Amino acid sequence: MAKILVVDDEEHIRLLYSEELREEGYDVITAEGGYRLLDRIDREHPDLVVLDIKMVDYDGLDLLQDIRNKFYDLPVILSTAYDTFKEDMKSIAADFYVVKSFDLGELKRKIKMALEARASE
Amino acid sequence: MKKSSKLVYEENPEKVERADVVVGISSSDSAEFIGHTAEQAASGLLDYFGSKNSVIINVDSDSRDRTKEVFLGTTTEVPKVYLSTPPGTKGRGHNLRNLVTKAAELKAEAVIVVDAAFKSITPLWIKNLGEPIFSGFSFVSPLYLRHKYEGVLTSGIAYPLTRVLYGRRVRQPSGGDFAFGMTMAETYLHHPTGGEKAVQQAGIDVWMTTLAITQGVPICQSFVGRPNMQRSPDGVMPQVSAFVDVVGTVFDLMGFFQERWQKVKWSKPTAVFGFGMGEVEAPPLLEVSEADLYRAFLQGFSQYQTLWESLLDTKTFNKLTEVKNLPVAHFSFPSELWAMIVFRYAVAQSNQLTDRQTLLESLLPIFHGKSLSFVKKTERMSIQQAEEYIENECMIFEEMKSYLAADWQGKQ
Repeated sequence: MAKILVVDDEEHIRLLYSEELREEGYDVITAEGGYRLLDRIDREHPDLVVLDIKMVDYDGLDLLQDIRNKFYDLPVILSTAYDTFKEDMKSIAADFYVVKSFDLGELKRKIKMALEARASE
Repeated sequence: MKKSSKLVYEENPEKVERADVVVGISSSDSAEFIGHTAEQAASGLLDYFGSKNSVIINVDSDSRDRTKEVFLGTTTEVPKVYLSTPPGTKGRGHNLRNLVTKAAELKAEAVIVVDAAFKSITPLWIKNLGEPIFSGFSFVSPLYLRHKYEGVLTSGIAYPLTRVLYGRRVRQPSGGDFAFGMTMAETYLHHPTGGEKAVQQAGIDVWMTTLAITQGVPICQSFVGRPNMQRSPDGVMPQVSAFVDVVGTVFDLMGFFQERWQKVKWSKPTAVFGFGMGEVEAPPLLEVSEADLYRAFLQGFSQYQTLWESLLDTKTFNKLTEVKNLPVAHFSFPSELWAMIVFRYAVAQSNQLTDRQTLLESLLPIFHGKSLSFVKKTERMSIQQAEEYIENECMIFEEMKSYLAADWQGKQ
């Protein structure tokens, strides 16, 4: 069972993602923001991170850089309300991005693809 | 990259025998530009690798325009070595083979490659390409800020194809500025595919990138800003020789790495290094002649229609004919059709269905049609929006990979 870390400062998003992804058979853990996120990843070894871009205290794209620098191969899916972040070249270090929606079909599809890409090597 | 049995001409006035960092400047009749490139490289080495022994090596293709004299005559605090291919031997691949051999001899930890023709090179390029090697990466590929119609050979075929094959998103797999460590140097020196003719020419860059990807070593992309070339070999209508060498090399490597790429599903990103370059000058406007692209596409039918009919399945050929009948004002070349044609060509080259040169040259007019469609679809887009368009095309390649795998297995 793949373990997914959902990082988002909005509680209802964490709850929604957790519930839906658990129904898909994933083990889900959550984090409210970027504080000690790298330690958490180091400790809990998630197979994939779903990362909010705009959090109150943290810039998700900076966190993405930090994650890439330390966990070179960990899949990261950016989750955002708007797609203007793509203007920032840092976003290309993400596996995929999804626009936040109550329909998580796209997120689930991207998670599957990212995990398959790692498994196929 | 086989060692040449021919002698390499060398001038090493400061008798350099060891170096931690090597900057290699590849040139061919580059007397006009190489002084500036050498000065920038020397500044970068002193500013960012000052505690290490470094050397600048000009690897030249038997230039006749005083490239050597200008290079060795440029005043730098960093020692310089000049290497040249033997008389009459030209090719970027030969230059880089000489560089790798010399870097191994000097026991270098990092080799940074830049092209003599880039007038926009700054010392930061040296930092951004070289630093990741000392942070544990084995290969560093460049990320450029380019005009959307610059480098279509890369964005239209080299990038989507290497990405779909090996599952790694390296945006400039045939970029001419990159860096590597000694692990990769050993691979380059001894790899059995290194003797191919295309690898000795313009296919060298995509060959080196593909080998780095397939070795499974840590690789990253590094932002180097805007490449302002004195002579662009890769505009919206690439030179025939560059097209044949680059595409031919990617196809050739598919045979060698067939077990690997057939297992790969989807793709994953590559780490990015080098943000914080400050304001990067926007690339200049690039004039594109839609009429020239359209004409080149249509001319392909006069020259290659029979060959295309024999290579492509009926459905694909009929779709190509439908595209031909579109007026230039409403011209559109579906990405799915382009992916299918590229896949068919890859299998055809592997099957040696026709002479390699003719086969690859016959793909170029179709590529011009695809490029015309890209120009029309992205004419009102920003660079970033055009990049998204390219990303979507890559996803289409990935979604259609099963066709390639089936076709490839069917040939065996």
